[in-house]
Amino acid sequence: MYIIIAGCGRVGSTLAKEFLDEGHDVVIIDRNKNRLDKLGSGVNAIRIVGVEYDIDVLKEAGIEQADIFLALTQSDSINIAACQIAKNIFNVEKVIAKVYDLGKEHIYTTLEIEYVNWIRLGIEELKFRI
Amino acid sequence: MKVIVIGGGKVGFYLIKTLKQRKHKVTVIEKDKDLCNTISERLDIDVINGDGTDLDILKDAEVDVADVVAAVTGKDEENLVICQVAKKNFNIQHTIARVNNPKNQEVFKTLGVDNTVCSTQVITNLVDWECESDQIKTIQVFERGEMILVEVQIDKKMSWCNKYVKNLNIPHNCVLVSVYRKDEIIYPKGNTLIQDKDKVVLVTDSSNMISKDKDTYSVLEKAIFN
Repeated sequence: MYIIIAGCGRVGSTLAKEFLDEGHDVVIIDRNKNRLDKLGSGVNAIRIVGVEYDIDVLKEAGIEQADIFLALTQSDSINIAACQIAKNIFNVEKVIAKVYDLGKEHIYTTLEIEYVNWIRLGIEELKFRI
Repeated sequence: MKVIVIGGGKVGFYLIKTLKQRKHKVTVIEKDKDLCNTISERLDIDVINGDGTDLDILKDAEVDVADVVAAVTGKDEENLVICQVAKKNFNIQHTIARVNNPKNQEVFKTLGVDNTVCSTQVITNLVDWECESDQIKTIQVFERGEMILVEVQIDKKMSWCNKYVKNLNIPHNCVLVSVYRKDEIIYPKGNTLIQDKDKVVLVTDSSNMISKDKDTYSVLEKAIFN
């Protein structure tokens, strides 16, 4: 599958490597070149330095033929903007975001953006074990 | 009108100051505490310290009775999300987002923001059109630069001079609005004769005003001069 990941942090970079190992095509976008460089030369993902929700950056990333778009940056506003553009303008079939700030979860719900809330999941797992 | 301004930076500060002078009821929401203090010291308005997408903060600002929400932080994406939150949760009819990257204007409009303001675009338009010719002046730009009100100073060298309006070569998507002759305003009809020293005001699609380079005529210039 053709997967675009916005945000090359810990989650984004690990996920990119795993998807590549599974044989998927991966494009990873980050506005910070240093973060992309940290992937190392052995990682065969296409890397794009740019604003993660910029229409032209997304087009360059091949969003028109992407099957999956994941917004995993450390800014909820960027994730929200990027997901809406992927979903509503480019009609990407599967669009999922990461919630960064717990207090902003309501925005994802209101705007009908599918999301994963790491912190909430972690808290529930912890509580479950205690 | 009750206006909620989100972002108290330079744009926000002068915006709330101006709105207050025009007797609007203004509340500002700003993340930075120091900036909040500065604003409340200098202006007598309600300042709320917090995130403009936080529903409780927005309720504190009485967003439910606001007429306009203007998001003027320095980040395009923040402004988009603020406007969407205001619209979806509080049914605000008029949301305005400040945009730095002109490309985002169309995108934000598609995603439900009512109005965008982009100073980059405004200055670009001024450079593009204002400097083009002494005889063709941009008076006003509408619809984010798509439609322009233009004034043409007629002189004898122009093909339009001494012609009836009905015989003029007027480009597609261009309409004559009025003719100033000395102190007289004429609303042109087909039988109006365009004369030397007339000022013709017209509305045109912006594409008629763009020329590839300094030595090439735009569509409008071609129509007027040739």
